[in-house]
Amino acid sequence: MKKRIAALTVALSLSMFGAAAVCAQAPATAQAPPAAASATAAAPQAAAPAAAAATQSAAPAAGVAVKAATAPVKGGAAPAKITPNRGITIGMFALIIAVTMGVVVWAAKKTQTASDFYTAGGGITGFQNGWAIAGDYMSAASFLGMSGLISLYGIDGFMYAVGPMFSFIAILLVIAEPCRNAGKYTLGDILSFRSSPKVVRGVAALSTVTVSIFYLIAQMVGAGKLMQMLLNIPYRVSVVGVGALMVAYVVFGGMKATTWVQIIKASLLMGATTVLCLLVAIKAGFNPVGFFTDVVSNSAIQEHVRMNVLKDVIAKPGVDYGQRFLEPGLFLKNPLDQISLGLAWALGAAGLPHILMRFFTVPSAKDARKSIIVALFLNSSFFFMISVIGFGAALYLTPQAISAVDKGGNMATLLLAQHMGGGAGSLGGDIFLAFICAVAFATILAVVSGLVLAASAAIAHDVYVNIIKDGKADQQLQVKVARITSLFVGTSAIVMGLMAEKENVVALVALAFAVAASGNFPVIMFSLFWRKFNTAGIVSGLVVGTISALALVMVSPVMTYPKKIAADAKKVVETLEKKQAGGAVLAEKEVQALEKSRTEYVKNKDGKSMVGLDAPIFPLKNPGIVSVPLGFLAAFFGCLLFRERRAEEMFDEIDVRQNTGIGIAKAADH
Amino acid sequence: MSEKQQWEAIANHSKFIELKRRKRNFLFSWWIISTIYYLLLPVISGYFPEAFRVKVIGPINFGYLFILSQFVMAIGVAIYYAHVANKTFDRLTKQLLEALQ
Repeated sequence: MKKRIAALTVALSLSMFGAAAVCAQAPATAQAPPAAASATAAAPQAAAPAAAAATQSAAPAAGVAVKAATAPVKGGAAPAKITPNRGITIGMFALIIAVTMGVVVWAAKKTQTASDFYTAGGGITGFQNGWAIAGDYMSAASFLGMSGLISLYGIDGFMYAVGPMFSFIAILLVIAEPCRNAGKYTLGDILSFRSSPKVVRGVAALSTVTVSIFYLIAQMVGAGKLMQMLLNIPYRVSVVGVGALMVAYVVFGGMKATTWVQIIKASLLMGATTVLCLLVAIKAGFNPVGFFTDVVSNSAIQEHVRMNVLKDVIAKPGVDYGQRFLEPGLFLKNPLDQISLGLAWALGAAGLPHILMRFFTVPSAKDARKSIIVALFLNSSFFFMISVIGFGAALYLTPQAISAVDKGGNMATLLLAQHMGGGAGSLGGDIFLAFICAVAFATILAVVSGLVLAASAAIAHDVYVNIIKDGKADQQLQVKVARITSLFVGTSAIVMGLMAEKENVVALVALAFAVAASGNFPVIMFSLFWRKFNTAGIVSGLVVGTISALALVMVSPVMTYPKKIAADAKKVVETLEKKQAGGAVLAEKEVQALEKSRTEYVKNKDGKSMVGLDAPIFPLKNPGIVSVPLGFLAAFFGCLLFRERRAEEMFDEIDVRQNTGIGIAKAADH
Repeated sequence: MSEKQQWEAIANHSKFIELKRRKRNFLFSWWIISTIYYLLLPVISGYFPEAFRVKVIGPINFGYLFILSQFVMAIGVAIYYAHVANKTFDRLTKQLLEALQ
């Protein structure tokens, strides 16, 4: 069996390498990115979603590249493009695949029981787990998207880093240790402790699968687009490739492989970020005041803020456009939306099943505590360094050059790496750029694996073992079912990723977070801390929280509204036609823009959003401010409607367990 | 004693009641305080942006320093919690376990 696993993994990694090599030989020009020569009037509208994606995201690479076609080019110059050296880059990809596959072979040998598969047998140390949790947060979206946002919009981008960083506080103080003490493998284990197990496990599994799948699809689409943009690997090939690797990690290596892949990737990412940040710091002479003085007095940044962001064609007197870059409000416009997003971060991350699952991999509550503190340290330094990289990219590359490559700024980190390594075409630049690309690739792989594992655990452990088999399944069967489920979840994710190529995945990320904050978080809290809480409360809290979050996102501005696209296109058409009527001759670019906007108008003028709306009903992109209170209220009143004696009587047990860890060994055995 | 009664006995143990009370007071008050401080960021930047524009050192303004202070606050709370948990909560838990034997 062991040999078979090893052979399979090796075969798989070889075939991946083969696929990558084939792509390498494909002419780089074959997949020339569509020249999105839209008029400048349409540009801001298109750029916004891409940036918003990067920001909302917990982790996902969703933001990256969602709208990342090459930007409109000014003055007829050749389209700006980032071209990593394919040979070096693919070599580094192969190295990462080889190393992680080695980890999988090693982990597969040690994965014998259900506990091994779901929680690495509780054998991860607090320090290692801290790196793995930090890795879950360091996504391609934060690595590429956040620095890009800072390089284009200044301090508003930096403000986004606070949410993910702060989300550890709720986890540290009220979630990690109690869950470690009271739980076993999944969210369902904690919730079903003193309620009707089957009903609660069913609902909890449904919620876990929903959150994980939303997140997963966003990641898969992001991965496909990123690989397409960086290496011209066709979208389908990258989605299938990333998916195949992810399935191999989880099916063979379970939690042990997933954790170690995450640790390896987090170390690579921290290393790359530190080097890049240090290079910026050296260039700035380790002088923050001097650095920011350079930023605000940089004429390119001043012009970018005035023309591209604020659209003041004529400079307004008394406005310091450079200083404006360090002031809020260039990107974030709606304060209520910010508070809503802040709430989703503060509570949602604590309700994400794939994060929750990591607390079960350490032997004790003390280790769970340590892992969160390590993760908090790592992530704070990571996000701080990302802000330095973002401002550094703005200063040393100019926002104009960054947005010329990608409208959302997602390529800022990569461009800076190339620049700092010695510039495009130089060996140092090529190697550094290739390394950063490979790190971005590893990032996606690691994050999707954790998601597949969380979704599979909910189906295999909660639904199959505990609902269908009444908890009576031997270890061998449990592991087998878990592996089959992972294969099934992974394959579905690949298929959905392929189907969602043209979809607006930004909404999915907002959804995953909103559901975790409004559905999962309230019921976890009440289960752990409120004596009267019971089955009815769990079910109503999960159902109302999830549905209200889903419904609000469906009618929010995050969705695509064809009528709005049509209206914008019409505006472009009218402007250009007026110009034409006035006797002016349109430039080639403008003629193309006119054609494109006309087709866009015709295509979208009678369209409706996914739920049949012309315009959003709910004004905020993030539903948290409404759906979180709804989730809490539903859990509260649902519980009061039905009294459950058994749940109340068993509160003493969960209370003692979660506070002291008594009985934890028992929880880990059975 | 049935299993239920055993749990009940521990839950009513004076050491356990003390541990639980101190933990809850500490955890919830720090959680609420830090969350309020955290939510001040979107509130000030959204509704009182002038406050963030005040320059403090060269071009570095209050807004930038306030964002940095969030990082300091989170790390500070984490370190303080680790300190209290290692010193007080773990000790009380150990005492309870010893008393139960």
